[in-house]
Amino acid sequence: MSIHPGTAAKRKATDSPAPANPAKVRRRSPTRVNPALYLFPLPAVAVVAFFLVMPTLQAFQYAITDWNGFSAAFNYVGLDNFIRAFTKDSLFTNALTNNLKFVLLVVIAQTVFSLVLALLLTKNSRGSILLRALFFFPTILSSVSVAFIWKFIYDPNFGLANSVLRTVGVDGGAYLGNDAQALYWVAVTQVWFHSGQMMVVYIAGLQAIPKELYEAAEMDGANKWQQFKSITWPFVAPATSIVVAYTTVQSFKAFDLILGIAGNPPKSSLDILSTRIYSTFANSEFGYAAAQSIIFMAMIALVTWLQRRLLRLTPKGD
Amino acid sequence: MSQISRRQAMALLGALGLGASAAACAGPGGSTKPAGASGPAAPSAGAVTGKVSFAHWRGEDKAVFDELIKRFAAKHDGVEVAQDISTSNDYNAQALQKLRGGSIGDAFATFRGAQFKNFTEAGIYTDLKDSQAVKNYQKGLLSAGQNGDSQLGLPYQVVFPMPMANLDLFDKAGAEIAPKNWDAFLAMCEKLASAGVIPISWPGGDVGNGGQLFNCMIANNAPVDDMCAQIEQGKLKCTDDWFIKMLNQYKDLKPFVQPNATGTAVEPAQNLFSQGKAAMLATGSYHLAAVRGLGAKFPIDLVFPNTTSDGKGKYEGAYNATFILGVNSASKNQAAAAAWIDFLSEPENAGYYANQTAQHVSVDKVEYTNPDLKRLSPWLQKKTALAARFQFNNLDVRNAVEASATAVISGTSPEQAAAAAQKVVDERL
Repeated sequence: MSIHPGTAAKRKATDSPAPANPAKVRRRSPTRVNPALYLFPLPAVAVVAFFLVMPTLQAFQYAITDWNGFSAAFNYVGLDNFIRAFTKDSLFTNALTNNLKFVLLVVIAQTVFSLVLALLLTKNSRGSILLRALFFFPTILSSVSVAFIWKFIYDPNFGLANSVLRTVGVDGGAYLGNDAQALYWVAVTQVWFHSGQMMVVYIAGLQAIPKELYEAAEMDGANKWQQFKSITWPFVAPATSIVVAYTTVQSFKAFDLILGIAGNPPKSSLDILSTRIYSTFANSEFGYAAAQSIIFMAMIALVTWLQRRLLRLTPKGD
Repeated sequence: MSQISRRQAMALLGALGLGASAAACAGPGGSTKPAGASGPAAPSAGAVTGKVSFAHWRGEDKAVFDELIKRFAAKHDGVEVAQDISTSNDYNAQALQKLRGGSIGDAFATFRGAQFKNFTEAGIYTDLKDSQAVKNYQKGLLSAGQNGDSQLGLPYQVVFPMPMANLDLFDKAGAEIAPKNWDAFLAMCEKLASAGVIPISWPGGDVGNGGQLFNCMIANNAPVDDMCAQIEQGKLKCTDDWFIKMLNQYKDLKPFVQPNATGTAVEPAQNLFSQGKAAMLATGSYHLAAVRGLGAKFPIDLVFPNTTSDGKGKYEGAYNATFILGVNSASKNQAAAAAWIDFLSEPENAGYYANQTAQHVSVDKVEYTNPDLKRLSPWLQKKTALAARFQFNNLDVRNAVEASATAVISGTSPEQAAAAAQKVVDERL
C-alpha cells in the first residue's frame, strides 16, 4: 500500500517538535514559495486575458453601441440592441428557434445513437475495434469536408440519396430545399459526424463498470433491461453528462457545417444563432452582432445548466 | 531575493486582469481614417517596385491573373504581385476588415452595391479620377465606381445576369430565342418542355446565384429604376401590386424549372445545362467559362425573360458592372498597386483577361476573340437595366426580398411570400 507524499509530509511535520509560535509558522509555510513559480502561470494568464477575457469584455462594450465595425464614430445605445433582438428582429428569433430545435434533435439522437453503438461495441474483439474505428472516422474529417459530402448526398438531381431512392421508384424530394425538413437533414449530418466521438466516451464509461455487478445481477435473475436500468445507466451518468454537454455546445456552434452545407448566408430555415451573428457582422452591424453574441453565450450557459439539473447528471453541491 | 506571498501573487494577477479589462474598455472604432471634407487622396506616386497584394474573389481567374502578373513583372523590374483570393461570400463578409489594415489588398476588387458603399464609408479607396487607367474605360460604365466627384473604383467586368441558352436545344424544339412578352416566354418554355428537356435549370438552393434571375424579373415590373433602394427605404413595398405580379410570374415558372429546384446548388444546375438536360441556366454570363469547363460544346446565347404583357418594356435585358478595382488608402505600396491597376486597364491586357475568362470588360477598344464573347457582344449595345439586386445595401433585406421568389417556387402563395419579406424590411427601416 502506497502512502501519498502529502500524507507523509504532514505526518513528518506532526512528528517534529512544536515551534515557539505554531500559528505563525503554519501560516507562513504553505504560502511562501519560490517567487519564480509565480512566473509559470503568466503565459497562460496572458493568453487567456488577451484572447478570451479582453474580447469578451469588449463584446459587452460593443453590445451597447451602434458601431458598424469600421468607422471611428459610434453612439452608445444602451440596451436597444438586446431589445431589438427579442422584439423587432424576426430573423434573430427564427435563428434562435431553429437553434434550440436543432440542439434538442441532435442531443437526443446523438446521445441515444452513440450509447447504442457503445453498448454494441464495448467488447474489445477485433470486429468491435474495426467497427469503432469506422464509426469514429467521420470525427477526423473537417466540418467543411463533411458539409460538402452531405451536400452532394442531398442534391436532388445527382445526389446519392435520390439516386438510390429512384431505383425503387421513390423521389426523396428537395431535402435541403424543403424548408419544413431542411433542419432535420442537417441534424442527420451532425449526428453522423459526431456520434463516433461520443461513442468512444461511452465505451470508456462502460468499460469502467465492474463486471461483478452484472454477474451478481444475473444471479439475482435480472433481465438485460433491468441490468441496463439499474447498473449501466447510473454508472454511465458521468459519461452521459459529458456527452450531453459537449453535444449541446457543439450543436449551438455548428457554424461551419451549416455554412458549408447551406451556403453563405444560409436561408432562414437553416439559419442558427452563430450564422445569424456572422450575417449581422457581415452586414456591418458590429454592435448588434456583439449583443447577439452575448445572448448566444448566455443561451449556451443556460441550456447546459438546465440540462444538467433536469437530467440530474450533476449531484447538488458539485 | 525577497519572497512574495500568495496574496501578493493574486494581487499581481488581479492587476493583470484589471489591466486587460481596462484595455478591453478602449472604445470601438479603429484606425480607419474616414474620408475628410476634401475627399480621398490620389494614390501616392513613386517607384513601381516591391510587393503588391491583389485581393479579390475570382478563384477561377487565378491562372489568367498569374499570366498577367508575369507580364507586369516583366515590365517593371523588382515588382511582385501576389493574389489574395477568398470565396465570393467570404470576400463579401470579411474583405473590409482584412483590407483596412493595409497589409492585405494593396490593390483590390469589390462588388457593386453594399460592399462598395461600405468601403467608401470606411475610407479605403483612393481617388483614381486623374489616373491613367480611368481614361481607358467606357464613360457610361464608370458610374458604379463613383462617389460624388471621386472615381474611387473602376468596374472591370461587364456581366449579364440573364439566363444562358443552349441554342442547339432551342433549334431542335423550335423555340423562340427572343420572346417579346411574358406569354411568349412561357410559350417558349412550353415548347422546350414538350421537346423533352428541362426548360430552366435554376439553382434555387444557392442564395447568391439563385437571386440573379430577380434582376430580369424586376427590371420591367418595377415602377422606377431604383426600385430595390426604394424598397429598402420603405418607399416601395413587397406587398405592392407590381411586386405581387412579379411573384405570380415566378409562380408561372414553377412547371418549367427542374424538379426540386429549391434544393439545387449551383454546380448541379450548371451540370444540367452543360450536359444538355436543361435548355437554359438561370444565372448569368459570368458562368460561361464554368459551363465550357464542364463540357458544354453547344452555341450559347442569352435570353431575357421579358415580363411585359405588350412587349413594350423599358429594358431588353440586364447587366452588371462589377469587380470594381481600387487602390487601398492604407497601402504602403500605393505606387505599385496603382501601376498594377493601370496595367490591367490597358486594352491589350483587359482583352487578354476578357478572352481567357469569357467575360466582357468595361475597358474601351478591347477586341473580343473568344467565340462566346463575340456571340454575346450585341448585348453590349442593347438597352439593358443595371442589375437591381445590388441596390440593396442591407444584405438581410436583399436576402429576404429574394427569398420571397424562392418561397413562391417552393409552393408558398405570392401574397404570403411578399408579406414575409416585407416584415423583414419593416423591421430594418
